[in-house]
Amino acid sequence: MSITRRQVLASGAAAIAGSFVKPAIAAKEPILIGYLPALTGPSSSTGVGINRGIQLAVQEINAGGGIDGRQIELITRDTQSDPTKAVNGAAELTRGQKVSVVFGPVNSGESLAVVPLLARTNTPQVHPCWVDSLTDPKKYPMCFRNAPTNQQIGGAANRYVVDVLKRKKVAVISDTTGYGTASVNAYVPMLKAKGAEVVYQGNVDAANPDLKPELLRMQSAGAEAIMPWSVNAGFLSRIINTRGQMQWDVPIVGQTTLGSGQTQALLEKPEYWAKVYPNNFRPVCSAADGKLSNRTDAFVDRLKSAKIEMGDTLLWWIALGYDSPRMIAEAMKNVGTEPEQVVAYLNKLKEFPGVYGDISFTPDRHDGYPDDEVVMVEANSLKNGSFRLAPGYGS
Amino acid sequence: MVQSIVLSGVAIGCIYALIAITYNVMFSASRVFSFTAGTLGMLGGVLGSLFIARMGMPVAVGFLLALAGGAVLGIVTEIVAVRPVLKSLDQHLYVLSTLALALMVQQFTAIEWSTEPQPFPRLFDIARGEFDQQFWLPMLACAVVIVGLELLYRHSLIGHAFLAIAEDSFAARALGLPERGLRMASFALAGVIGALAGFAGGEMLLAFFANAPMLTFYGFVPVALGGMGNNRGAVVAGLLLGLFQQSANFLVGGIFASVAVFTVFIIVLLARPEGLAGSALRRRV
Amino acid sequence: MDTQATQLRPSRSNVQGTVSTLSAALPFLALLVVGVLFPLFGGGYWGVIATRACVYWVLVSGLNLVVGFAGQIAIGWVALLTLGAYTTSVLAAGNVMPALPPYLALAIAAVVGAIFGLIIGLPALRLRTFYFAITTLGFATIVTQVALAWQSVTGGGVGVAGPVLPEPFASQWGFYYFCFGLAAICTWMTANIAASRFGRALTAIRDAEVAAEASGIAKPALLGAVFLFSGAVAAVAGGLFAALQSYITPDAFTLDLSVLFFIAILIGGRGSILGPLLGTILLTVLPEFAAPLVAWSTFLYAALLLVIVLVIPGGIAELLDFKNRRPLESDRAIIPRPDLLERLLGTTPDAGALTLQQVALSFGGVQAIDGLDLEIRPGQVHGLIGPNGSGKTTTLNVISGYYAPQRGAVRLNDTAMPVLARHQRAHMRIARTFQTPRIVGSASVLQNVMIGGTIDGEGTFVESLLSLPRHRRDEAMLRDTAMLALAAVGLERLAQVRADRLQHSELRFTEIARALMLRPAFLLLDEPAAGLSAEEIARLSALLLAIARAGTGVLLVEHHPDLIFDICHYVTVLNLGKTLAAGTPAEIRSHREVINAYLGA
Repeated sequence: MSITRRQVLASGAAAIAGSFVKPAIAAKEPILIGYLPALTGPSSSTGVGINRGIQLAVQEINAGGGIDGRQIELITRDTQSDPTKAVNGAAELTRGQKVSVVFGPVNSGESLAVVPLLARTNTPQVHPCWVDSLTDPKKYPMCFRNAPTNQQIGGAANRYVVDVLKRKKVAVISDTTGYGTASVNAYVPMLKAKGAEVVYQGNVDAANPDLKPELLRMQSAGAEAIMPWSVNAGFLSRIINTRGQMQWDVPIVGQTTLGSGQTQALLEKPEYWAKVYPNNFRPVCSAADGKLSNRTDAFVDRLKSAKIEMGDTLLWWIALGYDSPRMIAEAMKNVGTEPEQVVAYLNKLKEFPGVYGDISFTPDRHDGYPDDEVVMVEANSLKNGSFRLAPGYGS
Repeated sequence: MVQSIVLSGVAIGCIYALIAITYNVMFSASRVFSFTAGTLGMLGGVLGSLFIARMGMPVAVGFLLALAGGAVLGIVTEIVAVRPVLKSLDQHLYVLSTLALALMVQQFTAIEWSTEPQPFPRLFDIARGEFDQQFWLPMLACAVVIVGLELLYRHSLIGHAFLAIAEDSFAARALGLPERGLRMASFALAGVIGALAGFAGGEMLLAFFANAPMLTFYGFVPVALGGMGNNRGAVVAGLLLGLFQQSANFLVGGIFASVAVFTVFIIVLLARPEGLAGSALRRRV
Repeated sequence: MDTQATQLRPSRSNVQGTVSTLSAALPFLALLVVGVLFPLFGGGYWGVIATRACVYWVLVSGLNLVVGFAGQIAIGWVALLTLGAYTTSVLAAGNVMPALPPYLALAIAAVVGAIFGLIIGLPALRLRTFYFAITTLGFATIVTQVALAWQSVTGGGVGVAGPVLPEPFASQWGFYYFCFGLAAICTWMTANIAASRFGRALTAIRDAEVAAEASGIAKPALLGAVFLFSGAVAAVAGGLFAALQSYITPDAFTLDLSVLFFIAILIGGRGSILGPLLGTILLTVLPEFAAPLVAWSTFLYAALLLVIVLVIPGGIAELLDFKNRRPLESDRAIIPRPDLLERLLGTTPDAGALTLQQVALSFGGVQAIDGLDLEIRPGQVHGLIGPNGSGKTTTLNVISGYYAPQRGAVRLNDTAMPVLARHQRAHMRIARTFQTPRIVGSASVLQNVMIGGTIDGEGTFVESLLSLPRHRRDEAMLRDTAMLALAAVGLERLAQVRADRLQHSELRFTEIARALMLRPAFLLLDEPAAGLSAEEIARLSALLLAIARAGTGVLLVEHHPDLIFDICHYVTVLNLGKTLAAGTPAEIRSHREVINAYLGA
């Protein structure tokens, strides 16, 4: 009992003392931000793209004097797209390095393991993973998502197919990974709820070299749109190529990787990429006239002057990476680095102006990305990592 | 639809059969199964893509260099992973040494080449048809290898020497045959066949490091079912496997197809450990 | 004087045994102390790594019996980790039925793991090494695919939350101690097995399978027990893994993880407990130090594996085996003590005769044996001679049950012996040696000899696992008998030496000692004098005669006519699978055809 009281008193005294000496210490000690990207391994292209944005933002913040004179130091642990390494990395960041906040992991499989662990160590966390259950203000009050959820992603694609393209008979296909199977299981009921008829639904081994039987089956079932859910460029390119070989005039609407450079490289003919509509995000897309918004245009200029490569990645990855430390820095500039304060600030964050999108949180909703900004784009308009909005998104 | 399944099933079956022959050629020279068989197939695709698509070499040059690359890995396998452990064959150390080498090559490719599948160039500039080159190239490669091996084994002196080594290496050595040289030649030949499988199937399988474990597994199924060292059995079993796998993919979906292939494999193997074509047990005492 | 000396000897071996047990236990005790005190000097982060090492070791300890001891190339053991992780998580989360307490979920996972360990392992009984390796890889793929497909239970690609243990094991260090405790128990249990007749039998299956069969070791039952145990601990490890990860998805169970387990054992050294334990710690911790090399870690493991296989096949354990680096005496002689045989063999009850009647067997077109009659009587040495290819070893193999005769019968005391039931020959007290000695090279000479007495142990696998009294009694009995057998053949001074350091002649006598462990009614010797010096042959003769005097029937296959004519009571001469002549040595020596066909040449 007495120990507890003494502790309380001591911590109170420290807090008072701290508020006086804070600037002196602060000028010396950097603020540690933990960072868990997947920079190598099978699904690392996302992490590589995000990383470019993060590095640029941290450079800019530090060049501008840091946060109250304290520099930001990124403590990076490459997760190699492996959940066990992500757990080790999270332990090192929180228990070893004692970082103030963690950004990442950037792949859902890793985040599913890391989020509950960080919740136990009371570390604020921001991550961009899509799996719906990855935020829960009750279970994980310190975890925020500054990207869309799977519901938002699938919802946008479904809306486009049913409402804009007016297709009623849909084929939903995925690979046999966790992401693929989970997506099919989540999106098929959503499509049905929208009144569409799912005439084909299947999981195909991504290594299967010939998807023609599957597409023939879709065709004979009367499918009017194909919705693939996979991050495997090989698998997606086989779908696009097979459609091209069959000269089947049907739109392909789905995962953002449909529009990645890796998918493009695997196409047999450039024209096969027509009528392929991947997900993307309105703020980093150009309108029908080919122009980006002013904010994004300025960002692209900054990327160019920093000589950051955009051609082999996607703009939204860089923008997401760029926004994340800036959002964390803004919170810390306003309320300091105490976890509770940072979380309290983020809980009331309203329209943080990101290049990737405006982020808002409430205490009951930690999914910060706005619904309307998830859009579909024309895959073959890819230029410097950015796309043109798909027809039907007329401003 | 059926036509499409048969076409791709036979084509992929030919690739499996070629990998199975790769296993067999190495086996008959050394009594060793090597985990590098699938790695050779993967390398054929990656090297073909590297030389032709990335470095812009003519198809013929890229083809020969890819096969040469396979031969080199075959010889390296023999020198590094097989020869040192041959004297203690009954301890099965070769399983470990060839696994280690296969993992090394696979990881190296993943890191230095790409963890994403890369495009494989179209070899002949002819229009795409139903019976496309991506299907008939593996079939052609398989036919060429089968006929070539038959001719080699039956009608050439070195082929007879190969067979003698395969029958009884001890007796062959007693006859004064250069056992070590023949073994290296066999591994080089196996390397060429494995690389040819990957090269001919490049357009189907793409240039992808993860093809290595896939081919190591599916290429071994025909070996086990066709009877070890039995090339004709391997071809038949390979074609059956390809057809079975493609139809299972179509009928029960991707997840259960691999379960089905494996279940059939294990049941057949447990019922007939010596394979469907069969061969007698060796003397142990 | 003599009796005194021999009475002293077993007790001295006991003392030696205790000392060597203590020094062998020292590294484990050091690790135990470090583990218990770890929270004092390891930070929270190292706590996670240490917990992970403990979890992995729980799995590897069991897998070590499969891979390191039994020599079965099980590459895909991650399948059982996956299975255990999902079973525990799903039961604790209550996805299919009301949520169970985590401990109960772990226990059920252990049972499920044991069953699947058996299913995944059993093909090893039918399939050759490489085939088995591939099937385990296949199982690893299947389990992941099922986890993906069975969404209602496993959560499919989205996965399922891992179990959270109740207090006092909920906190980080509490959970660490829970895992550490289980790891320590697994170490103790597998060390018990390693030092039991079961552990020795496993290494015999690995390195000298025919000798294991001749010693009466039933491979299916033994491997079955090991697969059950290994599957159970692997599934428990899976449950702990899920708790450590806090959430599991199918992507967490990579083949890289499986390779890590497998390589940890081989880096550690086959047939060792300490080596694989250190190997597991090394492979868990190494990537944490070499973070920049993380991407290359699997490459480096593979390179390490290659180096180990090619340069130090014994792994870390061999590097740490200082005892066996000391040079052996160079001018050592084998001095058998036939006088000890009476105590070793006791009085063998008259088993009747071992007879072959009109036995015939052909391979392809070659008639290996063609209507052979043979009668081996207790207390007699029966010589079997003949030129190469005359069917001598084949005859031995028919008696041992390797070949089924196509015609004729093999009878023991007028009862037909079961065909092809090789390991049952030991139960009929028929022992044998081999043309090339079949020895476990990495085990000590004493352990090799103890293998011969495997069937005389009474304790069960579980009793050995837990080191219960019957197990300890078995071990003491086997050790004493083996020391006696070694003294009888003149090798007791080499008892603690690794068998692969012995000379060829010493291996021959080791095999005889191992065969004597069965107190054989019949002893079949396949060219025991090959490679022996004249002096050693003389000692062998005396030994064999003494064995026969103790009541054992000896069948001696030999090339050395001198040895045959010196000690045999009866000789059969084979030629082209047929009896050319049979009779006493004197009769044979004067047999015209024999002289022409064989002796004259």
